[in-house]
Amino acid sequence: MTLPANATPLPHTVSDRPFDPDAIYQFTDAQKALFEASQLRLMWWKFKRHKPALISGIFLAVLYFSILISEILAPYNLETRNSKFIYAPPQSVHLFHNGEFVGPFVYGFDFKLNMDNLKREYVPNPDKVQPIRFFCSGEKYKFWGLIEGSFRLMCPAKNGTLFLMGTDRLGRDVLSRIIYGARISLTIGLLGVGVSLVLGVVIGGLAGYYGGLFDTLSQRLIEVIQSLPSIPLWLALAAILPITWSPIVVYFGITVILGLLDWTGLARTVRSKLLSLREEDYVSAAQVMGANDRRIVFRHLVPGFASHLIATATIAIPTMILGETTLSFLGLGLRPPITSWGVLLTEAQNINAVALYPWLLWPVAPVILVVLAYNFFGDGLRDAADPYK
Amino acid sequence: MRIFAVLLAFTAMICAPAIADEAPLLAPLVKDGKLPPEAERLPKEPRVVTIDESTGRTVGKRGGTINTLMAEQGDLRLMTVYGYARLVSYNSSLEMQPDILLAYENDKNRVFTFHLRPGHKWSDGSPFTAEDFRYQWEDILTDKDMERGGLDTALLVNGKGPKFEVIDDLTVRYTWDEPNPLFLPALAATRPLDIYSASAYLKQFHQKYADPEKLAAEVAKERVKDWTRLQIRKARSYRFENPDLPTLQPWTNRTDPPSNRYVFERNPFYHKVDQTGAQLPYVDQVVINIAESSIIPAKTGSGESDLQERYLSFADYTFLKEGEKRNDYTVRLWTVGKGSAVALYPNLNATDEGWRTLFRDVRFRRALSLGIDRSEINQVLFAGLATEGASTVLPGSPLFRDELGSAYAEFDLDKANALLDEMGLQRGSNGIRQMPDGRPLELVVESTGESSMEADVLELVTSDWKELGIKLLTRTSQRDLFRSRVAAGETNMSVWAGVDNGSPTADFSPSEFVPTDPYQLQWPMWGTYTSSQGTAGQKIDYEPAQKLIELYNKWLTAEDGDDRLKAWEEILDINAQEVFSIGIVTATLVPVVISNKLHNVPAEGISSFDPYGYFAVYEMDAFWMD
Repeated sequence: MTLPANATPLPHTVSDRPFDPDAIYQFTDAQKALFEASQLRLMWWKFKRHKPALISGIFLAVLYFSILISEILAPYNLETRNSKFIYAPPQSVHLFHNGEFVGPFVYGFDFKLNMDNLKREYVPNPDKVQPIRFFCSGEKYKFWGLIEGSFRLMCPAKNGTLFLMGTDRLGRDVLSRIIYGARISLTIGLLGVGVSLVLGVVIGGLAGYYGGLFDTLSQRLIEVIQSLPSIPLWLALAAILPITWSPIVVYFGITVILGLLDWTGLARTVRSKLLSLREEDYVSAAQVMGANDRRIVFRHLVPGFASHLIATATIAIPTMILGETTLSFLGLGLRPPITSWGVLLTEAQNINAVALYPWLLWPVAPVILVVLAYNFFGDGLRDAADPYK
Repeated sequence: MRIFAVLLAFTAMICAPAIADEAPLLAPLVKDGKLPPEAERLPKEPRVVTIDESTGRTVGKRGGTINTLMAEQGDLRLMTVYGYARLVSYNSSLEMQPDILLAYENDKNRVFTFHLRPGHKWSDGSPFTAEDFRYQWEDILTDKDMERGGLDTALLVNGKGPKFEVIDDLTVRYTWDEPNPLFLPALAATRPLDIYSASAYLKQFHQKYADPEKLAAEVAKERVKDWTRLQIRKARSYRFENPDLPTLQPWTNRTDPPSNRYVFERNPFYHKVDQTGAQLPYVDQVVINIAESSIIPAKTGSGESDLQERYLSFADYTFLKEGEKRNDYTVRLWTVGKGSAVALYPNLNATDEGWRTLFRDVRFRRALSLGIDRSEINQVLFAGLATEGASTVLPGSPLFRDELGSAYAEFDLDKANALLDEMGLQRGSNGIRQMPDGRPLELVVESTGESSMEADVLELVTSDWKELGIKLLTRTSQRDLFRSRVAAGETNMSVWAGVDNGSPTADFSPSEFVPTDPYQLQWPMWGTYTSSQGTAGQKIDYEPAQKLIELYNKWLTAEDGDDRLKAWEEILDINAQEVFSIGIVTATLVPVVISNKLHNVPAEGISSFDPYGYFAVYEMDAFWMD
């Protein structure tokens, strides 16, 4: 081929025939969908296949929804005392009375004080049929402390009682208290983990990515924090919170305390992950292409260990829930009148509850269930976060 | 006549065969010649306890072990409390009688002459004589190195101590110019005033008597600062921490602390016998097992204690009752002997001026008291078995009058709110009243957190006071911290029990109702002022409290019973009218667990530290085991 004279452009060499990328290998629709799916969609598909995680996820979602409407779900208010029904045992729900279908109802109690051992004895009286009312107007409450209302999912019969999990020493309904307690117990974990996650990722990320002086300083700080014995530290921090703070502010304080102490481990992991990931070729590529630091960290590096973050976070939430329970048990955490599952359990910590009033130990059940659910859920999420494995 | 009877009993005893009558624990020792026989160990004139079999008590047999549970080493002092060997002591009707003393003479509360029992010996066999009183007085209480902070208030009249004389080997005399009605009660108290000590043993730790080199070696060994600390440590008779220290109590500690199990063995030289001439105590050993206070009810319920009243509460009664048959014990309900089971104390010496001003307004205190629904508290926490009422003496006391118990103790929200309105405390938008300086009325009540009952009461009071527009918050702190914060005026209100001695007679000191003690929660600074003779604390600048002090002084100097009674009554009236402490329920019940093998423990009794000493006035040394 000879070059054309007087520098006329070469003729265009791109074929103008229609191009079919699938000409060699024909993808099915399913394959197409898979390869074109976004990261999130892939994760969802993977997650869906992990049945325990899915069920746990739904369970947790339902619980978290319930804390939005605790007032409607609980048959009684948090502080309602029934001084005539102290240490009443759980009332069981019946459907048939004398062979006749009545719908869900409970038998009312006859109360007698056994003068021999001073036990409060409650006997279900078959004459007192007390149908449970649904979608009813019950005791007045202030929804989220703001709006007055009285609509409830279920209420005791008029002049009747409905203690599905019994009552405590002041005659307060245990079920209602568990429902209200969920509000505190479930969110203290989230807030605490949120604080520690943000601190951990930011401090660990900066230390790992930049290294240098900041790295040294933050590592020494972490060592100092980790070397402090935790219980005296909690004690001191909890003592700092002024008594006149409203319980809800104290609650935030405790959350922040838990979060402020818990970020160190996470920061360390983030730092070491970053140290190894920042040497990867794709990071160099991004740097060469002129990406700024923030983009590199959050766009390229964080997804690299997102699965680890998720696992840490989901396992940290139940730790926080247990941490709150521990603190409350030691008398450093939440205090009545704030009601959390930890507070409820603290009140059941004596021989009488175990021997005579076992229903006071019911708050154990939600604690166990939630901790388990979080573990399964975290497990599923971790697998899903790495969908190609 | 009495001495004649004693002599008769004594002769009867000498004639009895000696070895056969030895207590099981001591018989082998006597047989081996390590211990003299019983007749030689007893004082020549022992105190004869007549067990009245018509009251259901029986003359017992000796031997056996009482197991009981305590929570900490400090509780060993309860063995001094239970044992209750005092120079003079109370019986269960609170009548005073000589106990360690053979006899005493009291001349118008000014001159006290004490006669010791001839042949009385300490638990190590050394003689108990006037020298033990002289040692304590000259070498401890008034020694320039040993005395710290001066004499006990019970030894002072107008700041002056007594004149002490040794009349002979078995007679001592204490003389004041003015009457000192506090002296004998202090000797009979649950925590007695120490005016004698085991001098023969303790002289080896006293600079005046000890070989300086040996003393220095002991000081170094015990790692104390100087010999005075060593003396104090070795001489702690109340706390029973030194197994070598001789005692006059019925049982003596044989275990070096620290330990989880303390064995108390009978004192072979104890000064009491029953009417058959058998030396008391009946029970050979008392074994104290240390356990976490919160599991003591559980351990008791599983039969690990033969005699238990400490660390049990009314709420445990049902549980304890369930184990009765299985573990062969009986649960009794005794009445708590405190003036009030739970009482709230406004701190009239609070450093916060706003609160102090409020608390010093009697209308405020009355309103707080009127705003408590005591009947609900009684129903909820005590199954309705307690008595509702203000903080005063118990209905069983001869000084009790109905109007004292009911003063401002009815539940009357309207009246309470009217009083608060009258004071000009306006309600804010959220229903909470405001203090004159604009702060919301948020009252922090301090508690030691030791009793869940207090927490429950506070919870119920919280909702009652909400109706008054007062917000109650609770803060718990450890007991020592609690005390020091109250004493420093850092607290505004605290919760504690009422007066220790709920059933006094006019002969008991009314000091618990008068600012006399730094530990009094309603006026700690004034209490410090009085007890320190005006050298510390704050001068009393509140008229009703000044009146109380005047009446107290009247009681102190009163020559006869009528004057004392009048002073007492006026003191109680002022306390009732002024509501210095807000009593909630009184005469609550407390379970006492008694093994079915253990006899002579009364089915009903008053459970109180002072003056009953729990089992003390019921003669624990006469309890016996099958």
